[in-house]
Amino acid sequence: MTDPYEVLNIPSTATDEEVKKAYRDLARKYHPDNYHDNPLADLAQEKMKEINAAYHAIQQERGNRGSGGGTAYAQQGYGGYQYQQRTAGNPAFQQVRMAINRNDLGMAEQLLDRMSDHNGEWNFLKGTICYRRGWVDEARRYYETACQMDPGNAEFRQALNFVENNQAGYRPEGYEVFSSGCGGGNLCGRLACTYLLCNLCGFGGLRFFWC
Amino acid sequence: MFGYVRPSLGKLSEEDKARFGAAYCGLCRTLGERYGQAARMILNYDFTFLAILLWPEEVPAAVHRGCVAHPFSGRACYPGNPALELAADESVILSWWQIRDALADPGGGKGKYRAASLALKGAYGRAAERRPDFDRTTREKLEQLGELEAARCPSLDRPADAFAGLLAAAAEGVPDPVQRRVLEQMLYHLGRWIYLVDAADDLEKDFASGSYNPLIYRYGLAGGKLTEEAREGLTVSLDHSIRLMAAAYELWDFGVWSPVIRATVYEGLYLVGRAVLEGTFHAGDWGRPMAGRNKEQL
Repeated sequence: MTDPYEVLNIPSTATDEEVKKAYRDLARKYHPDNYHDNPLADLAQEKMKEINAAYHAIQQERGNRGSGGGTAYAQQGYGGYQYQQRTAGNPAFQQVRMAINRNDLGMAEQLLDRMSDHNGEWNFLKGTICYRRGWVDEARRYYETACQMDPGNAEFRQALNFVENNQAGYRPEGYEVFSSGCGGGNLCGRLACTYLLCNLCGFGGLRFFWC
Repeated sequence: MFGYVRPSLGKLSEEDKARFGAAYCGLCRTLGERYGQAARMILNYDFTFLAILLWPEEVPAAVHRGCVAHPFSGRACYPGNPALELAADESVILSWWQIRDALADPGGGKGKYRAASLALKGAYGRAAERRPDFDRTTREKLEQLGELEAARCPSLDRPADAFAGLLAAAAEGVPDPVQRRVLEQMLYHLGRWIYLVDAADDLEKDFASGSYNPLIYRYGLAGGKLTEEAREGLTVSLDHSIRLMAAAYELWDFGVWSPVIRATVYEGLYLVGRAVLEGTFHAGDWGRPMAGRNKEQL
C-alpha cells in the first residue's frame, strides 16, 4: 500500500493537527462540489478514496480513533445527478436520465430530440446535457426555461442556482476568490456573499464533512 | 486570436518566472530551428502554456543561449524536446489557418495577414507533413466554425466548442489515459476560454466591420459594447471554464510546472478576462511575463 503520509504530502513526524489540516485541505480540493457533473468526477472520487484511506490508516496507527473528526466523508455526490426512481415520472425521461448517468450524452440528446412536448423536465434535461459538456451558457438558458415552466420544482431551481452562484470553488492557499467580471455589475457582491456564507459554515463549503 | 494566456506573476518565485521564461525562449528557438526565422513571429504565451502542459517528465536543463532580441545578454532557454516541438508544429498549423481565415473575412486592412501568409507558407507545409492528424482536425474544426459564422449562429457554446475541440486534439497522442483525460479537459476549456475572451476583445472591431462575433447574436447587441446582461452572462461562461481547468489540473501531477499552471488557472486567466472586459487589456504591458518581447505576435 502507498505510504499514507506520502498521499497526504506530509512527513511521518507531522503532528496530529498537521495531519488533520493536510487531510482537510485535500478533502476541500477533491470535494464533490468542485466536480459536480464533471466528466472527471470519477478521478476526483478515486483521489478522495485514497485520501480517506490514508487518513484512516494514520489515525489507526496513532490510536486516534474517535478523535479528530474521523473520516465522515460521504462517497456519494460526485455525479451531482443521482436520481430517485419516480413512480409517476414519464418513462421516456427516465431513459434520458439513465443515459445521462451512463455519460452517454449523444443517446440522451437523441431521445430528447425525438420528443415533441418540450416541458419543464425536457428543458431541465437538455440543460443537464449542456452542462456536462461544459456549455454553461446554453445550460443556464434551458434551466431558466425549466424554472419558468415549473417554478415549484426544487430540482430545476437547484440546478439553476448552481450555475449562477457556484463562484466560490476550491482555491489553493494564498489565492483569493476571483471572477473575470468584477469591476461592474452585481457579480462581485454576489460572489462575496457566497464566499462569506461558505466561510460562516466554518470551512469553505465543507458542510458535507464538518458541519 | 492568441496571446491571452498568462500566469499571474505575483504568485511566482523568481525561479518559476525564470523557468517559464526559459520555456518561452525554448519555443521561440524551436520555431526558428524547425521553421526558420520568420516563423518566430507567431510565438506567444498560449503555445508556451501548451508546451508546459505536455512537458515530458525528464528533459535536459535550460541552457544560456544567444538571442536575436537580446543580442548582448542572451537568455536561458530549454533545448528542444517533444513538447516544444509539438507546440511549435501546432502553433504553425493553427496560425496558418487563422491567417487564411482572416484573409477570407470581408473587410479591409489585410496587409499584415498577406505578408504573414507569404512568410508562413513553407513552414505550414512542413508542419502539416509532421502532424497530418492535427492539420486535418484543425481544418475540420475551422470549417465547422466557418459554417456557424456564415449562419450567424446565436450561440456562444457552439462556435466555442469547435475551437475548444481543436485545442483538445493536441492531447490525442498522450499515452497515459488519466493524463490524456485531464489534458483534454484542460485544453478544451482553455480553447473555449480563449475563443470567448477573444470574442469580447474583438467585439467593437467586429461590430464596426460587420464580421461575425457570437456575442452580437447571442445578446442581440445593438452596438460594439457589452450590455450589463451580456457582461454578466459572459462572466459566468469565462469563470466556469477557468474553474473546470483548475479542477482538472488538480487531478494530475505537473511536477516543476505546477506553480506556473496554478498561477494561470487560479489567477492569471481571471485577471486577463477582467482586463479584456474592462477594455484595459491592450493598455501598456499589462501583466506580460516578458514585457515587450512579443510585439510581433498576431
